[in-house]
Amino acid sequence: MRNLFQKISNIMGPQKGSKNDAKKRLKFLLIHDQVDLTPGQLDNMKSEIMEVIGKYLEIDHEGVEFNLNRADGTVALISNVPVRRVTGARA
Amino acid sequence: MAECIVITSGKGGVGKTTTSANLAAGLALTGKTVCVIDADIGLRNLDVILGLENRIVYDLVQVIEGNCRLKQALISDKRVKGLRLLPAAQTRDKNAVTPDDMRRLIKDLKETHDYVIIDCPAGIEQGFRNSIAGADRAIIVTTPEVSAIRDADRIIGLCEANELPEPDLIINRYRAGMVQRGDMMNREDILEILAIPLLGIVPDHEDIVISANRGQPVVFDDDSVVGAAFRRIADRVQGIEHEIPSFESDPGFWSVFKRWMGLEAAVGGI
Repeated sequence: MRNLFQKISNIMGPQKGSKNDAKKRLKFLLIHDQVDLTPGQLDNMKSEIMEVIGKYLEIDHEGVEFNLNRADGTVALISNVPVRRVTGARA
Repeated sequence: MAECIVITSGKGGVGKTTTSANLAAGLALTGKTVCVIDADIGLRNLDVILGLENRIVYDLVQVIEGNCRLKQALISDKRVKGLRLLPAAQTRDKNAVTPDDMRRLIKDLKETHDYVIIDCPAGIEQGFRNSIAGADRAIIVTTPEVSAIRDADRIIGLCEANELPEPDLIINRYRAGMVQRGDMMNREDILEILAIPLLGIVPDHEDIVISANRGQPVVFDDDSVVGAAFRRIADRVQGIEHEIPSFESDPGFWSVFKRWMGLEAAVGGI
């Protein structure tokens, strides 16, 4: 009966098979195979880039997205940096 | 215009040799003359999969070193016209052959065959470099697993770096039952990641084991779904279009209901 209950909850909730884990791990692996940077180096790059942007713009650090993505065999660094206001601009 | 195709994968054990044997035999079944080369020097297996192991006299290395003529080393398959095997040496290693040797050999073979198929060894070292040296195009074999797809991606990059045209993909050991349960990556998942054209899907099926036991390539078996998959692949290699089935079964309402209720064990299926 527990089996039946589990199946009902499976149908109600999002279907999660182990293939999603496989795909997620694979995408991560391939990006890092190609970029050849450690997670630590990536973190450093992120903070250095944010530091530079921060000189000119006030950033909402909570909302920063910073991801490596892969499409058609090439890796792209995609970042979304929400700006609160322009700090360096002259009136 | 003869063509040389290398069957490669990076990872071992994904089915390169089985694919090479069945593609070569499948092409011969369509009336083409085909020479299949076992490039896995030191670990030859293609002769066993083809069931020709008792007929080997000379091998690839002996041809290259000039100890026999090319014609003497080729083993003609008696089950289908036009299929020939050039076996690997079992007691030598990969360094006995260079990429230039392979280029010369393939050039000679292309004069007397429509297709030259190369069964590439696992890895990306000397054996791989020898195997791709004389090839006009590559077919990459993978299975729906993280490690195999990762290696396939690496090989795609190496094919590009070696100026081969975009390779084609064969997905081997596909288990439709697991795909339907969400426990195996499906064709869209794999193609999204590897982004190369799909040549065919080969289901994981006991026929493969049985045919390997007997040394009788499954492509010769008219009743086998795996044999049919390889026959379609042999057609598609020649540019003859076929739908690529995903082997998903439509089990019918009552069977699904019973299985859902736990009254019937879920079958693995293919």
